Amino acid sequence: MAPQEATPRADSVVPIAAPGSGLGDRTALFLLTRSPLGALVQWVARVPASIHAKLLCAFLLVVLLFFTMGAMSLDTISRMSRHSRLLDEAHKRVDSSRQVEHALAMQMNFTAMALLLKDETTIGKILRENNRFNSTLAQIDQAAPPEERDLIQRIRAAQDEALTSVADIANLLRDGEPDEAMKLQLASGYPLYERIEGLVGNLVKTEEHRMESLRESVTRADRRAMVLVGAFVGTSILLALALGFVISWSLILPVREAGGFLSAVSKGEFGATISVPNRDEFGALADHMNRMSVALHQLDEDQRQAARQLRALNEQLERASRAKSEFLASMSHELRTPMNAILGFTELLLDGTYGDVPEPLKQPLADIQTNGWHLLRLINDVLDLSKIEAGRMELSLVEYLVPDVVGTVQASLRSLAMEKGLEFRIQVPDDIPPAFGDAKRLTQCLLNLAGNAIKFTPSGRVVIQVERQGDQLLYRVSDTGIGIPKDQIENVFAEFRQADATIAREFGGTGLGLSLTKKFVELHGGRIWVESEVGRGSTFVFSIALRVEEAAPA
Amino acid sequence: MSAKTILHIEDNEFNRKIVRDLLARTSYRLIEAADGESGVATAKRERPNLILADIQLPRMSGLDATRALRADPETAHIPIIVITSFALSGDDQKAREAGASHYLAKPYSPRELLEAVRRLAPEA
Repeated sequence: MAPQEATPRADSVVPIAAPGSGLGDRTALFLLTRSPLGALVQWVARVPASIHAKLLCAFLLVVLLFFTMGAMSLDTISRMSRHSRLLDEAHKRVDSSRQVEHALAMQMNFTAMALLLKDETTIGKILRENNRFNSTLAQIDQAAPPEERDLIQRIRAAQDEALTSVADIANLLRDGEPDEAMKLQLASGYPLYERIEGLVGNLVKTEEHRMESLRESVTRADRRAMVLVGAFVGTSILLALALGFVISWSLILPVREAGGFLSAVSKGEFGATISVPNRDEFGALADHMNRMSVALHQLDEDQRQAARQLRALNEQLERASRAKSEFLASMSHELRTPMNAILGFTELLLDGTYGDVPEPLKQPLADIQTNGWHLLRLINDVLDLSKIEAGRMELSLVEYLVPDVVGTVQASLRSLAMEKGLEFRIQVPDDIPPAFGDAKRLTQCLLNLAGNAIKFTPSGRVVIQVERQGDQLLYRVSDTGIGIPKDQIENVFAEFRQADATIAREFGGTGLGLSLTKKFVELHGGRIWVESEVGRGSTFVFSIALRVEEAAPA
Repeated sequence: MSAKTILHIEDNEFNRKIVRDLLARTSYRLIEAADGESGVATAKRERPNLILADIQLPRMSGLDATRALRADPETAHIPIIVITSFALSGDDQKAREAGASHYLAKPYSPRELLEAVRRLAPEA
C-alpha cells in the first residue's frame, strides 16, 4: 500500500469562487476577498441554522424594509397633504383679512357718500358692508391663534363704535342736520375708521406673515422628508442587495466546493476532502461527502489490494499452468521416445530387417507389438485427458468429409469385427456437405465408440450411422451387445470407469475412451448420450454442429 | 549417379539405430547428428538430399533447425521430414510453418518412414 495514496490531497479542493470567468464572477471574487462582505459570508455560513431559516430571515428582513419604506412614504404623503391644507387655509385667511379690509373701505366709502348725498338709504349699504365685515372677521376669528384674537377683539370693538357713530350720523341725516352729521363724522367716525383701518392692516400683515412662515416651514419639512425617504430607500436597496449577496454566496461557495470535490472524486481522487464553514444542510452534506470519500478511498484501496493479490495469484497460476503444460509436452516426448524404439525395433524384426524370424518367435513379437500399441494408446489417452484438464487442449479445426472420417474408422476396425464374426455396417447418406471440425479428434471419438461396441458385442452387429438434422450432425454407434445396467449408465462417461469392474478384467480397455470422447464432443460444442438395455445392446449418439464455430471450444 | 545422402538429427541412440538399420539395406548414405546445432552445421557442410529431424533436440529444437536451414539459400531446397511428438495439438501446424516438407508423429512405423523418404528423395 503506497502511503501517498492514503493521504488525502488537500489541493484537490477547488479554491473559493474558482471559475473566474465573466464580469459577474470577477466582481463577486473582488467583493469576497477585498471587502467585509467576504467575512460576512463566512459568518453567515457558520451560523448554525438551516438554509430554510436563513433564507426566511433574509426575506423577512427585506419585507420589513419594504414595509417600513411604505409606511414612511405614506407618512410623508399625508404630512405633505396636511401641509398643503394648512397652506390653503392660511391663504384663505389672508384672503379673508383682505376682504375685511375691502369691506371696511366700502363702509367708509358709503359713509362719505351718505354724507355727501345727504341720503339715508345709503346707510343701509353701510350696514350690509358691516355685516360682510363682521361675518368674515368671525371666520378669521374661528381659527385664529390667541395673539390674533386680541387684535380681532379690538377690531370688533372699534367696528362697534364705528357702527354706533354711523347710526348717529344716520339719525342726524334723517333729522335734517347734515352739518351736524358731517361734524360727527369728522370728529369720531373718521378717526375711528382710520383706527380700524390700521388694525385691519395689522391683521392682514399678521396673516400674510403667518402664511409666509408656514410656507417656509412646510418647504423645509417637505425637503427633509424627501431626503429622509430617499436615504432610507437607498439604504434599503443597498442592504437588500448585500443581504442577497451574502446569503447567495454563503450557499454558492459550498456548492462550488462540492462541485470541485465531486469532480476530483469522479477523476479517481478518492481521498479528496471537502471543507466548508457551513453549519447548515451544506455542512451536513460536506460531512457525508467526506465520509463517502473516506469509504471510497478505503474501497479503492481494498480493490487495488485485491487486484494486486489477484494479479499475483494469476501470475502464479499462469506459471503453474505453463509448468504443467511444459511438463506434459516433455513427458509426452520422453514417453514416446522409448515407445518409438520398442515399436520400431519390433516392426523391423517382424519385417525381417535382421533376417528371417524363427517361427516360434513370431507370435511373441506380434504380442509385443500389440501391447506396445496398447500402451501407447493408454499414454495418449492419459496425456489427452491431462491436457483437457489443464485447459490446454486445442482443437485443430479443418474442413473434412464425413465419409472420410467414417471410412477411416471402418478400415481400422474391420478386421477386428471380422475376427469376432460380427456384422459391421456403415450408413452415411450421400448428401452430407463438407463439414468443419477437428477431424482427427472426431475420428478418435468414433474409433472409441465403435471399438467399445465391437469389444462388448459377442455376436450380432455393430452399425455406425450418420444423420444430418439441419445444421447438426448426428453420429450414432449401435450394437447388439451386452448393454449397460440402468444404475450404471450415468457412470459410463466418468474417467477410469467401466460399467462393471469385472468387465475390465474380461474385456480390457483403458476406461478413458468414453470420458475422452465426451470431452472432445463437448469441446466441439456438442452433446453425447447413450440408450441401452441389458442383453439387447447399446446405442451411443453424439451430435455436433455441421460446421463448428472457431470460438466454440472452451 | 552416386547414392543419396540422408541426414538424421536425433538425440536418442536407439532411435538413430532404428533408422540406421532401416536404411542399411537401401542405397541411401546416412549421416547423423545428435543435436540441433551440429545438425545444422552438418547439413551446411554435407548438403544432404534429405533431412530427418526430431522436433525436440538439445541445444536447438528441430523447428529452429528447420527454420535456420530454410533461411540459408544453400540449404533452403533440402526436403526436411520433422518427427513430431504429437504432444500438443498444432505440432504438425508448427512443423509446416517452420518449413518442413513432411511430418511424422512419434512413434512412427519404420515402414511408413521409409515410404516418406523414398517419396521425397527417390533412391538413385
